[in-house]
Amino acid sequence: MASVTHPVREGIRGPNIASADVQLPAVKDYEQVDREIIATLGFTKKWFMGLMVAVLGMLIGMSAWIYQIYWGLGQAGYEPPVMWGNYIITFVFWVGIGHAGTLISAILYLFRAGFRTSIYRAAEAMTVFAVMTAGLFPIIHIGRPWKFFWLLPYPNWRLLFPNFKSPLVWDVFAISTYLTISTTFLYIGLIPDIAVLRDKETNPARKRILAILSLGWRNSDREWRHFAKAYLFLAAFSTPLVLSVHSVVSFDFAMSLVPGWHASIFPPYFVAGAIFSGFAMVWTITIPMRKWFRLEHYITLNHLDATAKVVLFTSLVVGCAYMIEFFIAWYSGVRPEQEFFWNRVFGQWWWAAWIMLLCNMALPMSLWSQKLRRNPTWLFVLSIFINLGMWFERFVIVVPSLSHEFEPWQWGSYLPSWIDMSFLIGSFGWFFMWFLLFVKQLPVMAIAELKEIVAPRRKHAGGGHH
Amino acid sequence: MQGVVGAFHEIDTTCAAIEDLKKKKIGDVTVYSPTIRHELEHAIDAPVSVVRRFTLIGGLLGVSFGYWIAIWSSEYWPLVTGGKAIASWIPYTIIGFEVMVLVGALSTVAGMFINSRIPRLTATTGYDVRFSGGYFGIFVACDAVKAPQAEALLIQHGAVEVRREA
Repeated sequence: MASVTHPVREGIRGPNIASADVQLPAVKDYEQVDREIIATLGFTKKWFMGLMVAVLGMLIGMSAWIYQIYWGLGQAGYEPPVMWGNYIITFVFWVGIGHAGTLISAILYLFRAGFRTSIYRAAEAMTVFAVMTAGLFPIIHIGRPWKFFWLLPYPNWRLLFPNFKSPLVWDVFAISTYLTISTTFLYIGLIPDIAVLRDKETNPARKRILAILSLGWRNSDREWRHFAKAYLFLAAFSTPLVLSVHSVVSFDFAMSLVPGWHASIFPPYFVAGAIFSGFAMVWTITIPMRKWFRLEHYITLNHLDATAKVVLFTSLVVGCAYMIEFFIAWYSGVRPEQEFFWNRVFGQWWWAAWIMLLCNMALPMSLWSQKLRRNPTWLFVLSIFINLGMWFERFVIVVPSLSHEFEPWQWGSYLPSWIDMSFLIGSFGWFFMWFLLFVKQLPVMAIAELKEIVAPRRKHAGGGHH
Repeated sequence: MQGVVGAFHEIDTTCAAIEDLKKKKIGDVTVYSPTIRHELEHAIDAPVSVVRRFTLIGGLLGVSFGYWIAIWSSEYWPLVTGGKAIASWIPYTIIGFEVMVLVGALSTVAGMFINSRIPRLTATTGYDVRFSGGYFGIFVACDAVKAPQAEALLIQHGAVEVRREA
């Protein structure tokens, strides 16, 4: 039998930034990275038109909010017993979208998954803006948004503190921590790249702003040493945080006794669904971006293939969770549960359940085909279907459960009003407005990390990367 | 700070110059690079970052505060439910965990800022804008007596530009 010889790695530390096994053959040197990524910051007519559409969407949502504040929460489509509707559905949808960014930047970093490097900045920005969007919905749902601070624990004249045993208060802590850490993670990663922009900038006013934002970063060995360690620990903190946030969101439902909600499978089911939908939104954003910014040699078909495998895996997890829910309802022998799950697929809301099953379980199975995994057009189309399917998944969780509880005399209906739909449109407008503004102000790919993949110049050939 | 700065285009020559400078002990060496390179880390051989201590202390303070605020407020304004504990460890672990992550992560960032000496809004001696682009830089902090020796060493190792900084 042949013996296996392992290469000697004595005295050499492992890589600080995940870059193993990634090749960008069309990227030759550091100057090319600077040139091509900075070139994406130039304004174009297409970008401006996209921004205008997003702002229009946001204005529709804002108008609806003003209308609702004036006329009251009754303008939303709530109808007893369905007192959670579009706002909670869309809140969970956007929190889910926000999961991919920190997963890509933190978990894939710890696992040294090289494909993250080209996509993680866009995904991180997406996370921050998605959580900002999600955070609006509980405030909108309150009806009196100016009372939002009552959820925060502070000594007050009401002589009341929030109930720390309530999942809704856990949510406040989880979401606000997630938003803070995701924003911090995004900004810390941006510092060396802002320094690159600062050093290339010729406009004195903009140079000054970039100098402040880069905090005087100088690329010294001292800075890099502490940066690498801080980044590692931020990733280590963010990893369980990612898993905890959607688990906590799932507790909003699972801690109740409502049929279809009271299930111990909810935390992993929600986390897998969040990663699934988050990766779909990463495709929705990065596939057009790589084409319009001519970045196909940075986000290669290998990158898309790797992300497609994650989507396929999480689709299988989500599909398995759907099936287990049905199985447990049947196996439990609990009549309301069985009745509820029958109603879910054949009752009033059958169409929503079948959209969910088609988009989240059936269509992603196409990704078993390598040809389709490497087809950007199909991945983009699939991402839209998955986004749709995941919104309907939350609809299926919220509405049929509340409208069909234990007592038949309590059963009711729900129809989203034009206010609800305006908020949904407004949320997309708000999200894309921030993202489009981001891509023209700051590098949409991590310049410093891309440089780590690119081989530096050497005088003597053969001195490879340790 | 007085010294000599050299700009390099190749990483292997930069590493060789760093090792030689350390061997000859001409002065304190600061290395600039557009990205993290392990060859450079290896050549510099700096001590392990102390940021981890900030992380640990921040995390411990955070988890303590998270549990404390939940327990204290429950005791101070109790929501009495028959058969249920006023302060309950299991749900409060969620608060403890979230605050641990929040304070621990922010302390990590504070540790990075303090140890990296940022924010720094004044010019840095020896820094050149090319060092965020495609060049590597070495700044040797030394007086006018040792400067010629540092210059000679940097040129010998292939620096494309060497200049003195006052």
